[in-house]
Amino acid sequence: MKDAPKGGRLAGPEPILGILLLLLLVGLSVASEDFRRPGNYLGMTRFFVEVGLIALPMTLVIITGGIDLSVGSIVALSAVTLGMAWRDAGLSIWAATGLGILVGAVAGLVNGALIVGFRIPPLIVTLATMAAYRGLAVGISHGDSIGGFPSAFKVLGRGFYYLPQGIEIPGQLLYLVVLAIVFRVILARTKTGRQVYAIGLSEPGARYAGAPVDRIKLLLYGASGAMAGLAGAVLSSRVSTATPDLGLLFELDAITACVLGGVSIYGGRGSILGTMLGLLIVGSLKRGLFFLGVEAMDQNIIIGAVLIVAVFAHQVVAPAARNWLAREPHPKEGST
Amino acid sequence: MNRRYLLMALAIACVPILTLMGCPQTEPPSEGGASASGTSSSGATAEPGQTIEIAMIPKLIGIDFFNAAERGAQEAADELDGVELIYDGPTEASVEDQVEMIEMYTDRGVDVLAVACNDPNAVADSLQRAVDKGITVITWDSDADPEASSRAFFVNQARPRDLAETLIDEMARQAGEDANIVIISSTPTATNQNTWIEHMRDYMNQEYPDMAEAADIQYPGEDQQAATMTTQDVLKANPAINGVIGLSSNAFPGATQAVVDQGLEDEVAVVGLGTPNAMRAWIDRGEIDTTVLWDVVELGYLAVYVGQAVARGELSPGDESFDAGRLGEVAVEGDEVILGEPMVFTKETVGDYDF
Repeated sequence: MKDAPKGGRLAGPEPILGILLLLLLVGLSVASEDFRRPGNYLGMTRFFVEVGLIALPMTLVIITGGIDLSVGSIVALSAVTLGMAWRDAGLSIWAATGLGILVGAVAGLVNGALIVGFRIPPLIVTLATMAAYRGLAVGISHGDSIGGFPSAFKVLGRGFYYLPQGIEIPGQLLYLVVLAIVFRVILARTKTGRQVYAIGLSEPGARYAGAPVDRIKLLLYGASGAMAGLAGAVLSSRVSTATPDLGLLFELDAITACVLGGVSIYGGRGSILGTMLGLLIVGSLKRGLFFLGVEAMDQNIIIGAVLIVAVFAHQVVAPAARNWLAREPHPKEGST
Repeated sequence: MNRRYLLMALAIACVPILTLMGCPQTEPPSEGGASASGTSSSGATAEPGQTIEIAMIPKLIGIDFFNAAERGAQEAADELDGVELIYDGPTEASVEDQVEMIEMYTDRGVDVLAVACNDPNAVADSLQRAVDKGITVITWDSDADPEASSRAFFVNQARPRDLAETLIDEMARQAGEDANIVIISSTPTATNQNTWIEHMRDYMNQEYPDMAEAADIQYPGEDQQAATMTTQDVLKANPAINGVIGLSSNAFPGATQAVVDQGLEDEVAVVGLGTPNAMRAWIDRGEIDTTVLWDVVELGYLAVYVGQAVARGELSPGDESFDAGRLGEVAVEGDEVILGEPMVFTKETVGDYDF
């Protein structure tokens, strides 16, 4: 019975996004000699793994109808915590890393507690904590940048697996793949995952059905903070420094990946695979435009335009197509 | 339902796979030959006659200061045969974005990277990576940690001693050799400022023994309004002061504003380090005489000359001077190339500069 809506799963945007990504990669490879260098395809992922780590829990948060704008600031707060715990408090670099991630998780749980406890909309809560956490990061570090980490710490963000012909696979790509599988299993294969969708479709409904709505929300925002903390550690390692201006606009990059990947901002719809495809599309596009000599400001305009088209496709074209299919003599079952 | 187990098995399988692959390496496997990393200095030498592609990365793009450097860099690239210039940087002075840019140009494979560093430590590992890949790396405007980055040269806009001495000479000229001065710095830990202060004090003792500091050094931080208030307070408390030195791009305009607000511009001389654009209005109205800095256009010009010369093997550490086109012979000190003496911009000349 659980296998019933097999066809319905294909009704999502993932196949189309997959084809788009493929076309994009082929197109950019044809257009740019630098893009089609063998080392580039995997090597470029290291520039967006951190955003990917944040986009995983963000997908679940948005599916519940929420949002987390504070993740970019949590990246900075954990990075600064990590740096100061190592440099000033004399902790080992790995204990400091753990503490940084823990601080991220706590910051996320505070978001969750405010949202669940006081019934304040997530947009407002995380908008406030976005400012507060960034301010805290600047305050405790006095705007200072902390660098000179021990070389073992480089493994997190500057480590590679080397293949023949000098092809480098960034180590952090593996963390993202493993964690994406974990999140995918939770969302698509567990009761909690189904409850996440249920909350997004109708929160009162989910409550009546006995879903532990508050606990799930609290955990999701906590997970969001913890993953932002991990992203902060990877990023500090990759750029060899911990400063309070790390992770600026990461929240928007992560939301962009989600929305492009078909996660509905109204809740109830979306998948980890979609988000990861969205991440890859934005990441490859940025990289390709760079290689084609498009300047940073123009890149942003193009990515903005792609996002608008994607939202239009998801919100207007896709539902229309579903309705049209539903009117066919042999209706395809299984849209939401 | 089998799929469920398949997925879980897959997730569990990741653990031994990861263990088997082991930890990622932070250094590339050495390709035969002992290339001790860190000690090898920057750069493979380019063939003569080959086009040199220079990627010049300022702290940020879109501001007058770095636009001026770009003009100079482009002029040098146009003058020189076989030099192709890319001038590109982050849109904000962010370490993260600059590191990404350095690594992207490294992956793309340019011949020379010339970087004005947003943070001496943060970019060092990225620059080291570029050096490991055979790219010639130089810095300009703001240096990277020389050991950690293995950069070949730093193109230095001005020696700290020269800047300090120019400021004191200006003060003596405007407020007299027996001036009572106060120094407005930024923060107590600001490295550049503290170096300048040390040199200024040495030079005062040596050349102008009657010049005195009439109040303690003020530290308003990097905040122009705070600098204005601090200067007002210190002037009120010490009426004998007839010279103010503003030591940062915030302290100088801030201190000037304070003196002008109190109508003291004829009694109190303000000297300092500031760009012509930032100080032009006060200089044009005659409220201050001069601003001290260097010619940013020529700094960009010199950086391109140095970059291509190092890549072609025509300049290496240990040389004593270097022929830099229209700049003539410039001094080389160790692994630094010096642009020259600081510039004093006056009412007559300030209009010729746009940065």
